[in-house]
Amino acid sequence: MSVRLQSYPQAGGRKTAAGARALAAVFAFALFTVAAPRAALAAGDIKVGEQKAQVCAACHGAAGNSANPMYPILSGHPAQFIATALFEFREGKRKNALMSPMAAKLTNADLNDLAAYFSAQPAPPPLRQATAPNVAAGRDLTVKNACIACHGAKLLGQQQMPRLAGQFQDYLRVQLTAFKDGTRGDMDGTMSSAAQGLSPQDIDVLADYLSGLPTQ
Amino acid sequence: MKINAGIAAAFMLTAGGIAQAQPAAAPAPSWQQGMTSDQATSTLHPLAGIVTGRPASELPLNKLKVPAGFKVEVFADGIPDARSLAIGDKGTVFVGNRNQSNVYAITNNGGKREVKVILKGLNSPNGVLFHKGTLFIAEPTRILRYDGIESNLDSPPAPKVVIDGLPQQPGHFWKTMAMGPDGKIYFNIGSPGNIVLPGYIQASISRVDPNTGKFEVMATGVRNSVGMDFDPRSKKLWFSSNARDWLGDEGPADILSMVKYKGEEHGYPYCHQGNMADPIYGKLRSCKEFSPPVYKLGPHVAPLGMRFYTGSMFPAEYKNNVFLAQHGSWNRTVKHGYNVIRVVVDPKGQVVKAEPFLEGFLTDEKADPPMWGRPVDVQQMKDGSLLVSDDYNGVVYRVSYSK
Repeated sequence: MSVRLQSYPQAGGRKTAAGARALAAVFAFALFTVAAPRAALAAGDIKVGEQKAQVCAACHGAAGNSANPMYPILSGHPAQFIATALFEFREGKRKNALMSPMAAKLTNADLNDLAAYFSAQPAPPPLRQATAPNVAAGRDLTVKNACIACHGAKLLGQQQMPRLAGQFQDYLRVQLTAFKDGTRGDMDGTMSSAAQGLSPQDIDVLADYLSGLPTQ
Repeated sequence: MKINAGIAAAFMLTAGGIAQAQPAAAPAPSWQQGMTSDQATSTLHPLAGIVTGRPASELPLNKLKVPAGFKVEVFADGIPDARSLAIGDKGTVFVGNRNQSNVYAITNNGGKREVKVILKGLNSPNGVLFHKGTLFIAEPTRILRYDGIESNLDSPPAPKVVIDGLPQQPGHFWKTMAMGPDGKIYFNIGSPGNIVLPGYIQASISRVDPNTGKFEVMATGVRNSVGMDFDPRSKKLWFSSNARDWLGDEGPADILSMVKYKGEEHGYPYCHQGNMADPIYGKLRSCKEFSPPVYKLGPHVAPLGMRFYTGSMFPAEYKNNVFLAQHGSWNRTVKHGYNVIRVVVDPKGQVVKAEPFLEGFLTDEKADPPMWGRPVDVQQMKDGSLLVSDDYNGVVYRVSYSK
């Protein structure tokens, strides 16, 4: 997929060495606790993001390529999606016992740097192939439920919408079920309502189909 | 064993509502309702803003255009999802939002402009309104009041509830308010989906008395009004409203209209733009039964905040004009809107002309996304300059004029 990155930031504060940037991030956080900071640069920094992402690797693997279906693969998502997902965890709009505390202290600059880093990591090929009957059935479901309108014709994600192609089958099933149950936080209700039309069987078919889709 | 009456009643209601089909087909997502089978492969989708906002230094501000003599600049950045604007007696600018939980204030601290979070933990506090020392905040299901807040921005008073129990609904859940000359708060209750039969107080403009909490529906058949203001001459309430989606690029038109009397019906979901019968609901009632809009703005321009201009900074011909922010299209293959327009309204309530006032946010009408910013609300400052919010970037702009 094409990586959606904005141009590198040009503002003076971001031209410092990585160590100074880390300090700046700490300072920005201190500011945020007393008053809203000036807007963080939305075009995050990949190099800074790489450093900040080290702590993510424990669960999500090196370069965001998780090996455990409990933890989603983060590589190759649109930057706006990564920032939005982290924002939702930080603000408590999406909750997870492991992830919520990790996101709680992130600054806006952290969100954008992590987003720049993970979106720049190439997505690995799918880890599995969908079962034959679910390929056609899954494709039909993605049209019928308008998945492709937001997530793109190849389900690679765009803007604030994640890449679904090649994600873990189990993770997709758990998330779709949670959207349907209304237990998965959702910025504006779009995904919760989109999942209402899915039966448990549909969710199984979609999770199988999407996890086997090519990631490029 | 005692039966839980609430659960039993809810079950009966549900069963009644879906009597013709068992098992029930789940409703389509609110934005997807009305999509036809031949639109199934459409790639049109709602757009979302950048959750952290973007600083002014990252924005192509040189693309913005205003008429000769006017100037546009960034007034404040760092206000994610900046939407409704209100101005306090002391000049504080209050900013609401649709998808976050904080309310922001832009203050002037000894000549230094500051942005600060003043309220936290709210639910989609889209509506902000300031009147006689009180800040009113509209969440999806209630309106709160913060008396005397402008003197206590760092430790705001506990809110009082003006009204609670408004519908918790999908679709158009966010609220916009205007203060009436009668001292009552006028606000929208949107339709709970793109094209659905609304409940009895939904798709309405209603009002509540902030002193007594008395609630009245003023106008129905208004799909979703995200902007309203009173004409300072006629004292009539004008409003913008967004028309339904999935009927193609060319219609129906979004509208600018007026509430002429209590109980006035404006057509939704039966009739759009005054003369277009809805393909689903149009058979039930005729367009002749409804008030037509005052003005058709165009299809999928997404008109949001509007204000009559009463200041003295702008040239005299701008007096009593309507400034209207257009959020721009998503459900259109060729995108447009994404601007602030100037609508000249005569004292009788007729639109003389409408023309672009602030534009340049649209970058490529066929791209996805097609724009770099999206205007949401307009608000007149005490000096007569005009503020414009942009929820895509979390920025507030200021348009001023000098000879």
